[in-house]
Amino acid sequence: MTNDFLNIKHLTLLWAFACATLGFANDMGPLPEPSPCAAHFHYEEGYFDFCDTCGCGSSGGSMGYGTAMNSYFVGLRYIGQQYRSRDGIFNNSPWITENFNTLQAWGNIPVTERIILNAIVPYQFHNRVLPDGTDQEINGLGDISVLAFYNLLKATPDSIVSIKPEHYLQLGGGIKAPTGKYDKANNTGSVNPSFQLGNGSWDYILAMNYGFTHRNWGISTLLNYTFKTKNPKEYQFGNQLNYGINAFKTYYLSDFALTPIVGLAGEKFESNEEYGLKVADTEGNVFLGKLSIEGSYKNYALGLTGVLPISQDLNNGRVELRHRLSVYLNINL
Amino acid sequence: MKKYSLYTLALSILLFVSCSSDDDGTTEELTGSGEISIKYDNGFNGNDLILNTPNSANENGEVITVTRFNYIVSNFRLVNEEGEEFVYPKDESYFIVSQETEEDNIVLPGIPAGKYTTLKFGIGVDQEKYLQGSEGQGDFLAEAEANNMMWSWQAGYKFLNFEGSFTSESVTEPTDFKIHMGSHGSSLDNYKEVTLELPTSVIVSDEIDSSIHLKIDASKILVSSNNIKLSEKSVIMVDEEKSPQIAVNTTEMFVVDHVHNGESHD
Repeated sequence: MTNDFLNIKHLTLLWAFACATLGFANDMGPLPEPSPCAAHFHYEEGYFDFCDTCGCGSSGGSMGYGTAMNSYFVGLRYIGQQYRSRDGIFNNSPWITENFNTLQAWGNIPVTERIILNAIVPYQFHNRVLPDGTDQEINGLGDISVLAFYNLLKATPDSIVSIKPEHYLQLGGGIKAPTGKYDKANNTGSVNPSFQLGNGSWDYILAMNYGFTHRNWGISTLLNYTFKTKNPKEYQFGNQLNYGINAFKTYYLSDFALTPIVGLAGEKFESNEEYGLKVADTEGNVFLGKLSIEGSYKNYALGLTGVLPISQDLNNGRVELRHRLSVYLNINL
Repeated sequence: MKKYSLYTLALSILLFVSCSSDDDGTTEELTGSGEISIKYDNGFNGNDLILNTPNSANENGEVITVTRFNYIVSNFRLVNEEGEEFVYPKDESYFIVSQETEEDNIVLPGIPAGKYTTLKFGIGVDQEKYLQGSEGQGDFLAEAEANNMMWSWQAGYKFLNFEGSFTSESVTEPTDFKIHMGSHGSSLDNYKEVTLELPTSVIVSDEIDSSIHLKIDASKILVSSNNIKLSEKSVIMVDEEKSPQIAVNTTEMFVVDHVHNGESHD
């Protein structure tokens, strides 16, 4: 409870910082009207938010990825997540800190006018210090995911400034391949079963993105569901629901565009299974507050996102998310 | 319109694939036998039990520091999903859990393959075993002596050896307490049995060894169905009234925290 409160306080501070930045931007002179063919992209504002396991060890984290509408890009993103998990079953069992680090190559590639292919290739480097003082590190390729999105409703690209809000709606689906190693030993006796490079299973994803922009304002929402299957070690991570909403506003400064984004997101995890039977204390949910700022210049975009939990109940309280942080650099195609 | 239906088709295929691959969920046939280990994770009122460290006050306002917490568990049985009971070989079914020596993991090899829903065991040594005489006890007699779990052969086994010191409102100086519960020869039978339903079945086979993680609450020895105040009597050994009450309370200190299928503990 105290933690939640502290986090809200942190969020408020972050928000204040973002506002101050905006204020500064506003002071830089009269803002030009949105340029007619501003091809600006907000990588954090929409698309598919996706975090693999309760510990979010294997892939995205509910960071959001992709761009609004129909932008195409390739880029690199770092995601750092810190969790603490209880080593033991008692109220006074020691906490251990777990750091999940992911470096991703990601991209949105056009296939047809209405179909976008989205791919993520993650490299993971996780570490934790066990109560006996020993370091445990795992690193290597994570689970590669490929999704296809279909633009049911498409905001007109490069359009002249529209008076009416521009809506977009995308439906998609895809797979996550077991390219990351699942090591059963990491799971033995440990409370956080997600200290892994990958799930070890073929997983299937359904995703939906909806949003609209009006002048330089915008709202984006996302909803996706991952069906996870049993891996060869008879372990099955629980299915996962992600949802989120973001609001953003873009400020233009000649060639630069600056977009602060504020968002809320949630993740819900079903129970894991082993040999077809539920594993105790593996379900959970987390509700997150998110602040991010994205700067773009010509074809380049640099973004920074901070995520703090507002409320959470992971693994029956035995795992806690501390924070997530992401930095990305993208080149628009 | 055509594009929409194409999309719907793609979506349905995805759904179909993801659902069908889930369906072979249940395991292949379980054959042979495997090992089940049972972890007795000793705690005190929700916290880990640490010897020589004061615990938070109990309902009677007594602050207890435990210096010894040993008990005998025995006669293990497992009930499978069909309701059939497997009885672990009786002669190998006596163990001592000791916080002092950190003996808290009981290993039962040779359990026939299956899915078990219920764990049963005894606390202490039953009369049948005791009446086999000292020769009939095998190595267990020496083990019990080494762990302070015997009065003498005539007086019998201590099923529970719970010692330490306490303070309370009326007893402000740390005062030693001793709770030794047992059957006192064959005149007073305090042997009791515990039945624990497992929150998830435990699976065992040639390929799968599993473990059951029990959470023990030692505070229940004094405060459970029966309320025992140390400030009234701090040494309870051969006590016709309180000793059977302790025996009942002791059966209430076991809870299954979780089951690890396909993993042995430690």
